[in-house]
Amino acid sequence: MNRMEPVTVLGISGSPHRHGNTETLLDAFLDGAKEAGGDVEKILLKGLGSAPCQGCNACHKTGACVLEDALLPLFDRILVADVIALASPIYTMGITAEMKGFVDRSQYLWAQKYILKTRYYTREHIRRHKGIFISTAGTGWENVFSSAFPIMTAFFDIMGFEYHDNIIAKDMDRWKGIRNHPTALSEAGEKGRRVVVEVARLKEGGEAPPGKGVQKEGKKGARRPGKKER
Amino acid sequence: MAKEPGIAIEKVALDEVTVEPCRGCNACEVLNKCVQRDDMDVLHDKIVEADCVIFASPVYCLGICAEGKALVDRAQVFRSRKYVLKLPVVPPERIGKRLGIFISSAGQNWDIVFDGAKMSIGCFFHVTEIKNKDILYLLVRGVDKAGEVETHPTARAEAQATGRKAVERLREMHR
Repeated sequence: MNRMEPVTVLGISGSPHRHGNTETLLDAFLDGAKEAGGDVEKILLKGLGSAPCQGCNACHKTGACVLEDALLPLFDRILVADVIALASPIYTMGITAEMKGFVDRSQYLWAQKYILKTRYYTREHIRRHKGIFISTAGTGWENVFSSAFPIMTAFFDIMGFEYHDNIIAKDMDRWKGIRNHPTALSEAGEKGRRVVVEVARLKEGGEAPPGKGVQKEGKKGARRPGKKER
Repeated sequence: MAKEPGIAIEKVALDEVTVEPCRGCNACEVLNKCVQRDDMDVLHDKIVEADCVIFASPVYCLGICAEGKALVDRAQVFRSRKYVLKLPVVPPERIGKRLGIFISSAGQNWDIVFDGAKMSIGCFFHVTEIKNKDILYLLVRGVDKAGEVETHPTARAEAQATGRKAVERLREMHR
């Protein structure tokens, strides 16, 4: 393994509320990932000024989105990250409008993969790229995350990531916040450490067998813009 | 429904008005109103005053679209009013006389394709005092291309039947 190339971990916060339960849980995960040697960064969707998908289906023909805003460079960065963590609280039994707007904009990559067939991920690629869903919910209802899981399944599939794990904590109203939850933050940190170690090990395993080249265009020498938001 | 006597219809397109996403500040749990000033101020009153609220959103990525989710989340003010402040959302005599309709289409044919959407919409109707038994669903699967719903074998007939049923239910409620 090239020691100059650490495991890159991108945390995407879809909460409109700074430093709330979900962002705190994401921070714990990212701290753990950093401890294990990951190159971590957090991006806040609120304030990016991105538009929701217009449902114009132009990408079904062209593979490109007609909306040119901050989300396109963000998708480019996700595609070259090793680990992504999507963090959204549950509002009204679903992910937030910010996170849903972001996920919906991946439609052009879906079109590349399923309509135009210009996008393809090898099994090996998917195994080496880990997607994690981080969430909190006010209520303790059994099914409170049920509508979020299929959305994450679809998103990670489109992006070529294995849906590796959930870091979720419900009943926040009863616990009076994530900091009072007995295990959530320490578990998030532990999962952050573990996933970086695991991906580092997979990367160390060498390149994929010949003929099954992992597509990681633009990875080497790519300079990631933007200040760290932590 | 529009052709029925005594029924007044109004349609609001969410992409033509401004409804910002909920900020999650929970101020409405104390203030009984939202701290944001946008077109939700007007929509809030219309939702309270209507006898029938029809919510239409396509399914994108197994959920309602972001514009629809923003409106649903802004209904938090109703939830705070009902469950935290224990104040009426509509006058007591109108409870049980409100009808909700969820209209949606999805490109995929999967059985589960509307499940996530229905969970959020159900909450939206509950906090606006529309009971589970008073929600009608008009859901069309497998329409992905523009205009495909027009050539769908049953969609038009189902839509008309839902409209007739809604008028019938409303007349029963207001007899």
